[in-house]
Amino acid sequence: MGQTIAEKVFSKNYGTLVRTGDEKLFSPDVITAYDYPGYIDKYEKQMVEELKIDKVRHPEKFVLFIDHMYPAGTPKEQEIHAITRRFAKRYGFKLYEGHGIGHQVISEKGYIRPGRFVVHFDGHISTVGALGAIGVGIRNSMIEAFATEKVSLIVPPTVRINLTGKLGKGVTSRDIFHWIVKEIGPSGCRSSIIEYGGPGLKSLEMDERFTLCNLAMFLGGVSAVMETDETTDSYLREHGVHDYDQMVPDKDATYFKEFTFNLDKVEPVIVMPPTPANTVPISDVIGLPIQSGYIGSCASGRIKDFIQAVEILEGKRVVESFRLNAVPTTAAIQSKMSQLGLTTKLIEAGALVNISTCDFCIGQMGALSDGERSVSTGTLNIPGRMGSNKAEIYTASPYTIAATAINGMITDPRTLL
Amino acid sequence: MLPKINGRIAWVFQEENFDIDLIVGVDNIKTKDIEALKAVCMKEYDPEFAKYVRQGDVIIGGENFGYGHPHYPSCRALRALGITAIIAESFAPGFYRGESTNGFPLIECPGVTKTASRWDQVEFNWDTEILYFTNKNIKLQCLGIPKKSKDLILYGGIIEYLKNTRLKSV
Ligand code: SF4
Repeated sequence: MGQTIAEKVFSKNYGTLVRTGDEKLFSPDVITAYDYPGYIDKYEKQMVEELKIDKVRHPEKFVLFIDHMYPAGTPKEQEIHAITRRFAKRYGFKLYEGHGIGHQVISEKGYIRPGRFVVHFDGHISTVGALGAIGVGIRNSMIEAFATEKVSLIVPPTVRINLTGKLGKGVTSRDIFHWIVKEIGPSGCRSSIIEYGGPGLKSLEMDERFTLCNLAMFLGGVSAVMETDETTDSYLREHGVHDYDQMVPDKDATYFKEFTFNLDKVEPVIVMPPTPANTVPISDVIGLPIQSGYIGSCASGRIKDFIQAVEILEGKRVVESFRLNAVPTTAAIQSKMSQLGLTTKLIEAGALVNISTCDFCIGQMGALSDGERSVSTGTLNIPGRMGSNKAEIYTASPYTIAATAINGMITDPRTLL
Repeated sequence: MLPKINGRIAWVFQEENFDIDLIVGVDNIKTKDIEALKAVCMKEYDPEFAKYVRQGDVIIGGENFGYGHPHYPSCRALRALGITAIIAESFAPGFYRGESTNGFPLIECPGVTKTASRWDQVEFNWDTEILYFTNKNIKLQCLGIPKKSKDLILYGGIIEYLKNTRLKSV
């Protein structure tokens, strides 16, 4: 009987064949975390005071990030970062501070390769699935990983998503993802690993693939993983990773469910407040007045996203009184944006280009006030996520946000391309 | 011993993809003070919830209960008010992982929202995994509970579980 990619990853990890439904102790190849009150400060307390563990066996498997509350806005926030620095030093963990959002930096720094199993508190670690690895958000059982370097997991079933066709003008991978949510519902892949593949996937660039994998939880997924190909190879090579096997499922693998989506049919969509479950075609909300826009986060904020925004914004101006925040996912991406001249074009169009940080995604920066509306590529549109809980967040693609910034109201980007 | 689940249904969330942050309100998801959390818990659904709920009561949820970015204060508040379990059609995986790690019984019971009404009396049998509505004389078969989840409930959460099992010989 053939295996899905997930079965391959978990079998390799466990050392013998495992199947969907098996409950086993797996050994993550990479254990990663970010600092925020109640996360690393808590793990430190648990490790040092409650479990009295003074050293770990494989410190090289651990990597920590300072990406939230960055740069610190208050002494209290700086203290939280100091705890993370102390924790990293105590156990010999690698710490990246100010390199950008961990879910992406982890791939840039060569920690991810096809077949790896990665754990984090946060489910958006599914981003690494774009490289044929499986990242699972294990929530507060992170302490299990820190303390024992093993985590128990039931191998989830796999839902196969075949992509065919090619995206049309003005349509992005954000639209693909939310389109799928609209088609199969927010629990369409509940408690499963989403396996993306097919000719449509081949047509997508790495930046677009990271976006698709990042959002897995909003289809109810435990994680997402993609077939690897030449596009994956060139990303890995560029980031110094050479030694790995391709990740593709066996032809006779068994899936829990299978879906096929034709990318030709995907159109720009908007995710309406108050939940990521609420997708509508953009035509339903054209003309709705909007005051603020955010292009960034671990989901979007890569080169491709800014190229799309600039396609719309170049030679134009963001409308008076509209605030457009452009926040690259990582410092390396920001540097590349400068090389490509994207930063200048964004600034000339009236955008605020910020350093890489999570803070716009959680309303620590660029916060919304009562009654305001924002279009955002952040991950979440629940009330209060980006400031006032009386503000509304509409999730959309970078194209749509740029077009909306020009007109101050929700605009179909295809009219400006 | 696994905790006895025998109490009344304090609330039925029929909605699918319910975001549990709404139980205390998104404004309060950073609140640590348990008394403050108890005071706001379920306020939007029944302002007198805290007054009526009793130790041993349970909450019923719909499909994909816990969707979104679930934070812990809501369940902390529910537990502090006496809720001993959440029984739902199904759970979002992140929510399930997080709260079962806290040692909180989460039970998947297909069909439960069709049967359950507020203040029904229910009893859960850990061996047969059957949910018994004593006032209605209806039995529903729940889905199997993973061994790890049972261990976590038994030890009252991940720290005691680790100390008593995997780190015991160290
Ligand atoms: S960008 Fe947003 S969703 Fe992603 S890790 Fe940062 S805060 Fe979380």
